[in-house]
Amino acid sequence: MTCSRLFDRRTRTLLVIIGCLLFFFVVFLGAWLYGRQGEVTNLTLRKISPGWGQPFGTDWLGRDMFARTLQGLRLSLGIGLLAATCSAIIALILGLAAATLGKTVDVVITWLADAGMATPHLVLLILISFACGGGAKGIIIAVAASHWPALTRVIRAEVMQLRTSDYVRLSRRLGKKPVWIARHHLLPHVVPQFLVGLLLLFPHAILHAAGLTFLGFGMSPHIPEIGTLLSESMRYLSSGMWWLAVAPGLTLVVSVMAFDLLGNNVRALLDPKTMRE
Amino acid sequence: MLLRYLLIGVTLPLLLLVASGCEQQKVAANTPRTLTLALGEENTEGFDPTLGWGSYGNPLFQSTLLKRDADLKIVPDLATAWQLGDGQLTWTIKIRSGVVFSDGSPLTARDVAYTFNAAAKAGGVVDLSGLEQAKAVDDVTVILRLKHPDITFIQHLITLGIVPEKLHGTDYGRKPVGSGPYRLVRWDEGQQMIVEANDRYYGAKPSIKRLVFLFSSEDAALTAAKAGKVDVLGVPSSLAGQDIPGMTLHTVKSVDNRGLMFPVVPDTGLKTPRGLAIGNNVTADPAIRKAVNYAINRQALVEGVLSGHGRPAFGAVDDLPWDNPEIRFRDNDQAKAKAILKEAGWLDTDGDGVVEKNGVKAEFEIIYNTKDSLRQGLALAVADMLKPVGIKAVPRGENWDKIKNELTHASVIVYGFGGHSPLEMYKLYHSNGPEPMYFNAGFYKNSTVDAYLDQALRAPSFEAALPLWKKAQWDGKAGFSTPGDATWAWLVNLDHTYFVNRCLDVGKSQMEPHGHGWPITTNIEQWQWTCQ
Repeated sequence: MTCSRLFDRRTRTLLVIIGCLLFFFVVFLGAWLYGRQGEVTNLTLRKISPGWGQPFGTDWLGRDMFARTLQGLRLSLGIGLLAATCSAIIALILGLAAATLGKTVDVVITWLADAGMATPHLVLLILISFACGGGAKGIIIAVAASHWPALTRVIRAEVMQLRTSDYVRLSRRLGKKPVWIARHHLLPHVVPQFLVGLLLLFPHAILHAAGLTFLGFGMSPHIPEIGTLLSESMRYLSSGMWWLAVAPGLTLVVSVMAFDLLGNNVRALLDPKTMRE
Repeated sequence: MLLRYLLIGVTLPLLLLVASGCEQQKVAANTPRTLTLALGEENTEGFDPTLGWGSYGNPLFQSTLLKRDADLKIVPDLATAWQLGDGQLTWTIKIRSGVVFSDGSPLTARDVAYTFNAAAKAGGVVDLSGLEQAKAVDDVTVILRLKHPDITFIQHLITLGIVPEKLHGTDYGRKPVGSGPYRLVRWDEGQQMIVEANDRYYGAKPSIKRLVFLFSSEDAALTAAKAGKVDVLGVPSSLAGQDIPGMTLHTVKSVDNRGLMFPVVPDTGLKTPRGLAIGNNVTADPAIRKAVNYAINRQALVEGVLSGHGRPAFGAVDDLPWDNPEIRFRDNDQAKAKAILKEAGWLDTDGDGVVEKNGVKAEFEIIYNTKDSLRQGLALAVADMLKPVGIKAVPRGENWDKIKNELTHASVIVYGFGGHSPLEMYKLYHSNGPEPMYFNAGFYKNSTVDAYLDQALRAPSFEAALPLWKKAQWDGKAGFSTPGDATWAWLVNLDHTYFVNRCLDVGKSQMEPHGHGWPITTNIEQWQWTCQ
């Protein structure tokens, strides 16, 4: 009996949600418990491979890789969550505006979304993060400002459909302002799309934040962020210190996959129609 | 049928024999004649000595008037005799006759005079501002007239490669012609440079006739070395602890140091003409600077951050002839550091582990260049070492642009120096600075130190200047080193680490200066293959 038969979609989604929340909780609690342990050097415990004392080993300055990975993951998840939320909110506002504020606004926003989608993501990310002075702020702004186009288009299309429904037309006839209609009739209907979009943006945002720090456009290189850890590990792979890359890399992959699974499950539950398409 | 088998039976072994013969021939042709070096980045500005090429190491294509041997003693190269006279204002130099550039044209005193005048005019990395004029008296005699006495001027005779007057122009850096042991054959910028022995070189002919310099990233160079494609590989000390088949580790002592530069004046809102903030209220107190110096465990930094490839640094000029051994002290002494802080009024009144004085907490940032993992390691380790004595140092990575153009006069910065001339020490500590932004960036000023440094500069001979250089560091009462004003916390002197082909003898390397350029090639004409 396969897993999909054992649980229905609702239970499965619930399980994934619980799993992801638990993951979040463990990462944040772990990072809080360890504090800034991952930044403390211990020159007598350098380059130790994983074992009982140091489950993920230590790096070239004797910093505990377990603490660093936890801290890095917390930073990545935090940055990803904040950036994805900002991006989704931008998408929601622009999507609603495009569909309700008239043709000119629609044309401008659609053009902007197209331009955003046509530009290579990484280039845009690097440019924005550099212009904003790097650091966590730079990464969040860059990811938030470059990930909204796809969701904007989804929301715009949904609102376009809703606009022609009877109750919206009636409201308009009764003299309600576009903003009022958007708030009371359209917004509640696009919440599922918004949530799904936000959840699917999240793993993207984590990956891109890690990508930016990997390339050295993020924060100070001693602050453990998954991208920084991976880029630092590259120097030592040739000297056999595999554990520097494996643990942070695997945790990044696992967290991205987990939140992608969560997004897809929620999508299937909330929006079965488009999922089947 | 039988005939076919017979044919196959005969031709197959024959073919194999021929193939193996080819293989053997190939191996013979591959015997290491060309030497491949991967020593890091190229000099993107080209190979023009008047613009700075060779100032940190060996100009390779050009030759210099004097040079330093493996023990750093000054020995003649192009010059046959040199004399300082006229109240320390005139260098009279006789040069070899019969020397020719690699294109066959003769090298005369006019070329020497031209090179010095051109370098002074260029005003670049080579600081020849003290030169009034260089003049050729005849084909073999040149007179260098200085604006004011400066005993360190001899360093320019050692580092400035002579260029041909006729061929020198804006394009010279890309197509250098000189009288050095090698000549440039081809330079694919960003990739490689091919160099061949100069048949017209007047000195001992190099035994290695062809060199290829690879300009690739650290990882790529390491991979190439592991595949046996590189004969001399420069690596940072953190990567020196591995085995590369067919290569041995060659470690060279250096004066390439790293230390913490302290702003020594308080922040009063003053700014430089360029608009950069000056001063730091915490490090302006000598007690803080001394406490930092005593608290640091330099040997642990050497072992931990440099993987043992270096030695503790107590001054900017450790182990050079002008180094004052009296400035050494016992570090890793937290009790002494705490006592110094307490005596100066730095106390932890609120119990947060950080001492304070007049409401100011002993807290500062240590800025390091983000691209330099070594400086990062030092900044992090030092910050952890200062915690127990109640000083909170927060490491922060920044790019060079920001360090140079915003932070250099108001922050504690991990800088590196180390040259073969006391002039560097003069610039680091004399109140004439800061100019350019790296020298005396902390706005240090002590009239006693200034006086010693000025006297040393005007000394009648290099030897006579030595005691004065030493007194500037510490004369028993004052000085810029830790017993005195503690203007820097010097941390470590690096060893430069190279992997060298087992079949290559690189001779005795001299104590190398700060890492730019390719100092290991200084004695390259003596290198030789020891096996086939």
